[in-house]
Amino acid sequence: MLDRRAKGWQKTVAAVISFAIFVSVWQLVTLNPTIHQVMPGPFAVLQKFFLSFAEPIGKNTMLMHMLITLSRWAVGFLAATVLGIALGLAMGWYPKFEYFMRPLFELVRPIPTLAWIPLVILWCGIGEFAKYTLVFIGAFMSIVQNAYHGAKSVDRSIVHAARMLGCNDRQMFFTIVIPASVPAISAGLQIGVASAWSSVVAAELVRSSSGVGWIVVTGQQNNNMTQILVGILVIAVIGLLLALLIRKVEDVLCRWNKRGR
Amino acid sequence: MQMEQERKIDSPIITLEHVEKEFVKVKEGGTFKVVEDLNVQVRENEFLVLFGPGQCGKTTILNMIAGFEEPDAGSICMYGKEIQGPDPSRGMVFQNLAIFPWLTVMGNVEYGPRMKGIDKKTRREKAQHYIDLVGLQGFENHYPIQISGGMKQRVGIARAYCNEPDVILMDEPFGALDAQTRYLMQDEIVRIWQAEKRTVIFVTNNIEEAVYVADRIVVIRNCPTSVKAEYEIGLPRPRSYIAPEFLKLRREINEVVDHTL
Amino acid sequence: MRKRNKGKKRSYVGLSVLSIVLFFFIWWLFTEGFLGTIKANVLPGPVKVFTTLSDKFSNKNPDGALMQMHLWASLKVTLSGYVIGCLVGIPLGIFMGWYEKADIFINPIFDFIRPIPGIAWTPLFILLFGIGMLPKVIVIALAAFGPALVNTYTGIRQTKEVHIWVGQTFGASKFEILTKIAIPSSIPFVLTGMRVGLGVAWSTIIGAEMLAATAGLGYLINLCRGIYRPDIIIAAMICVGLIGAGLGYVLTLAERRLMKGGRW
Repeated sequence: MLDRRAKGWQKTVAAVISFAIFVSVWQLVTLNPTIHQVMPGPFAVLQKFFLSFAEPIGKNTMLMHMLITLSRWAVGFLAATVLGIALGLAMGWYPKFEYFMRPLFELVRPIPTLAWIPLVILWCGIGEFAKYTLVFIGAFMSIVQNAYHGAKSVDRSIVHAARMLGCNDRQMFFTIVIPASVPAISAGLQIGVASAWSSVVAAELVRSSSGVGWIVVTGQQNNNMTQILVGILVIAVIGLLLALLIRKVEDVLCRWNKRGR
Repeated sequence: MQMEQERKIDSPIITLEHVEKEFVKVKEGGTFKVVEDLNVQVRENEFLVLFGPGQCGKTTILNMIAGFEEPDAGSICMYGKEIQGPDPSRGMVFQNLAIFPWLTVMGNVEYGPRMKGIDKKTRREKAQHYIDLVGLQGFENHYPIQISGGMKQRVGIARAYCNEPDVILMDEPFGALDAQTRYLMQDEIVRIWQAEKRTVIFVTNNIEEAVYVADRIVVIRNCPTSVKAEYEIGLPRPRSYIAPEFLKLRREINEVVDHTL
Repeated sequence: MRKRNKGKKRSYVGLSVLSIVLFFFIWWLFTEGFLGTIKANVLPGPVKVFTTLSDKFSNKNPDGALMQMHLWASLKVTLSGYVIGCLVGIPLGIFMGWYEKADIFINPIFDFIRPIPGIAWTPLFILLFGIGMLPKVIVIALAAFGPALVNTYTGIRQTKEVHIWVGQTFGASKFEILTKIAIPSSIPFVLTGMRVGLGVAWSTIIGAEMLAATAGLGYLINLCRGIYRPDIIIAAMICVGLIGAGLGYVLTLAERRLMKGGRW
């Protein structure tokens, strides 16, 4: 009953048909004059999208906007990765550090990233640093969480085996705890990528002067639905590509965990 | 099969004297004695088997000899010095394998020498020797997830041997294998032990296995564990599971050991 | 190697307590204490924050509403959108999990929608429906719908084959197997999806209110940025955190009640 017999090509065909239906329905619906006033058709959106690579929206072309947003995402995410993994592993492996740091984390964790936006802007101004910080906050929690669980759940008998083979404390952390935690860290990275993307978009929606989020919010301020939809399209596509990218990273890192690949 | 080499079984290398161990009953409170007044002497180069019914503390005893746990009373000494913790002079082959999944077969086997700081060329050669010894040549670059249970256990054995410990402890190493593989591994372990002289302490709850591999069997009783009987197995190797002398010993030991569900 | 301590794991609870105490102490020290160099309109001290917090429940200044009104405004929208999101996401997840045809057609569309953060939909719906409750409810529904669907889908897909076979040997119809075996066994996953969805919903409303609202905790936080009242901001952030945690806790309790036997 649950065995899935659709082959790869069948899934692709279904996807194509699905999108075709979606686009067609959308186009048909917007042919209605009343609806057409508020909602552009898919082809208008696509046209504007391609146009924006030549004609800037605001001060920047689409490519610039995309790069600006991506750079904000990248800086925050990388910082969150480096610090998050280090902190998480240390908390998971060294009890004293865990007992000291964990309450601080538990205090901050329930506050959603979006709630930080105004405070961060108040403190850091409206420049790039505020965006980096917000992206960092977005990704950091889940990365730390997962690294922490990874280090904490290293199989006891693996630890025994390593000790038995003569490894000292430093070697234990670097040659055993870290590799053993890679699957968990990788899972944290999947979540972190999405959280970071969500944060950068949100930060740009609330207060920015460039970027894909800015495109969406200025579209709304100028009553330009087409622009909003172009922005959303770009957000979706880049988000999807980032997710695929981090999935590939996981495949490489966790080669030893997957059968037959 | 190779005939038994002339082997001098020496003076005691490990002694357990009046060893006791208690465990705390987590749910009901209070403690219960797992090991009581255990006295065993392990002689150099002998293949000693600790045999007893399931769940009666055999693993605990082995863990104490290895140094992962401490006795609550009594002493465990190696070469006259009290055991302080895990040490490369006491290698261990674990029941649940505990091989490092992120390292290849070669990576696992050379781990001990790598921790000691031995240079790459030497330790690779050494590891190769043991990989060949256990019959895994050709699989050096495989990950544990790609090989079978029996092969994984052989990696564990090669890894323990490669570190060249004075004593090798084996905690029901074939318990997780199917019956057929188990018989093959019993042959293998005798062959390996004959090729490389080392003291082996082997724990099992399978009587056939015990009589097949051992120089000497120490029968332990159910909780609280202590020595019930000792048997010298004088039979020449290779042994036959159905030879009359084999069956006679097997029957004797079977009657002595505690039978509980 | 040194002799280890006897058995038991040491508890360093003292360190935890110390850490919290240090946190508040250092915060106080640099704001209201002896080293009070940080101005109150940048980072107010703990005393100010907690006084403001309790005060706001009876003081309408400076925005014209009490804290509990903002609280309720946010909660109202969140819960409405959340319920809708679950009502759509869970059945759809079951449908896609069970019928492969549905899966291969709907999944691609969903894969495209999923990377869009909930808050990014806000301007679109504001343009369509104005600054009322409706656009926000839709946005929250969209945000909560994702996790609810994905987890339900996973729950159905992981139904153990052997259980299905048991059902078949008893002569159950396909529909009966779905309702009596697959759906019950997926409940833990559905609950997880609901919990994650609620967290996302709560988080999204706070952001959405910064874009278009006249009340709510997100609105309050954003407003007080403009008038340089970080004490209210932090007080409101604490409320956001507490409610978010509270909502999660309620769901965890419900989960435990529903799964009395523990995980299955």
